[in-house]
Amino acid sequence: MSAKTNIAELSALLEQSRAAIIDEWKRTVMDLVGHKYPGVLSMDELHRHADLKLAAFSAYFASCREGLVTVTKESPLGKMVYDLSSDHDTRGIKPVDTALYLVALKKAISHQLVCAFPDSQEQFVEFLELLHGLMDQLTILSFDAYATTREKVIAQQSQSLMELSTPVIVLWNNVLLLPLVGVIDTIRARQFTERMLEAITRHEGIVTIIDVTGVPVFDTGVARHIMKAVDAAQLLGSRVVMTGISPEGAQTLTKLGISFANVISRVSLRAGVAEALKLVGRRIESIAGAN
Amino acid sequence: MNGSILQHLAVTTATDIVRARSVARQEAARIGFGLADQTRLATAVSELARNVLKYATEGSCTIHEDSTPVEMRLHITMEDHGPGIPDITAAMKDGYSTGGGMGAGLPGTRRLVDKFEIESSPGFTRVTISMVRKRQ
Ligand SMILES: Nc1ncnc2c1ncn2[C@@H]1O[C@H](COP(=O)(O)OP(=O)(O)OP(=O)(O)O)[C@@H](O)[C@H]1O
Ligand SMILES: [Mg+2]
Repeated sequence: MSAKTNIAELSALLEQSRAAIIDEWKRTVMDLVGHKYPGVLSMDELHRHADLKLAAFSAYFASCREGLVTVTKESPLGKMVYDLSSDHDTRGIKPVDTALYLVALKKAISHQLVCAFPDSQEQFVEFLELLHGLMDQLTILSFDAYATTREKVIAQQSQSLMELSTPVIVLWNNVLLLPLVGVIDTIRARQFTERMLEAITRHEGIVTIIDVTGVPVFDTGVARHIMKAVDAAQLLGSRVVMTGISPEGAQTLTKLGISFANVISRVSLRAGVAEALKLVGRRIESIAGAN
Repeated sequence: MNGSILQHLAVTTATDIVRARSVARQEAARIGFGLADQTRLATAVSELARNVLKYATEGSCTIHEDSTPVEMRLHITMEDHGPGIPDITAAMKDGYSTGGGMGAGLPGTRRLVDKFEIESSPGFTRVTISMVRKRQ
């Protein structure tokens, strides 16, 4: 018997046992994972999913002329798995359970095939092989889909984290504070430089304090980014006060041969603030009578 | 080298630089190096890893320890199969850069550590840095 006839028959058989397969699959999924997501997975929805899947299976098998074709993520079946996986992810259904979902479907179909084929062993084995070939592809795709969704989420998160992590604070009239926290790579350097320059222009920043207390490693790369930011700030007429270099950091910087020539540097943010205020002709004083 | 390899890390993305240097810092701390030495080592690893990424696109970082009862000894090897450095003497000079940098990475790293070895040929560059301290 040729692959073609087998596939056609398998497709027909799936149609024929559709109701039974859906029924068994729904029950298995509910038994295995339903209790973990009360109210999230409903019988109705599972029914709809299964129905759509099996229709897509039949269509897929009908499209296989010479044996199984690879399921790409652009094909209807592949898209279905992708949608399922990302839908599950957004609803908080774990990837293991999505995998179980597919495994349960494989089981239900195999089981119903056994029931429909009590005696023709040889053909049954071939059917199973076709089926498993397909289901394995789908399981792998769902894994890929999950990773893709996750990567998207991570990219979005790091984007928003980045925006959160470079605030420019107006400390006093014409005095800006830029606390740098975390790893300063090219993208973040560009971002904080842009924000700083924008703020200098908008608030007529005469002094900008760059606080590096939160920068874990100060190497030549970070130094270069900061120097460029300092140069740009100075072009706009703002003085730069740098604060928060640790004693180890200072030692390391001198060993590296890096000096911030045009920059006023102060050990602590407190000293930096005092210096910045002085540059705009202000100072912090105790209120008379208070101790 | 005697002793044991503590970590073997790939350096292929900017994230790997961050990982390599924080692992180096952790290992140094675990062995008992002080905060200043940890910072130097982390910075040195950061420099070397950035060079790997910039000039060779990928490479690896191996952290190795052969401490004795009297001495703490940590070695880090950064290796790549990039273009190699044609003129090592020039590359070790302050201010020499073929990549528009400050040219402070290699000479600075040498000053940060106790021992600095570099070898390079077309298609290969390996830098090994060591930090050695007497135990208190
Ligand atoms: N792994 C490497 N492979 C090939 N060439 C390298 C490698 N590391 C360094 N070099 C060469 O040595 C030069 C000096 O390196 P060094 O790290 O001192 O400066 P830089 O990377 O150019 O600038 P900086 O580190 O200050 O940002 C580089 O410009 C480059 O030509
Ligand atoms: Mg460098």
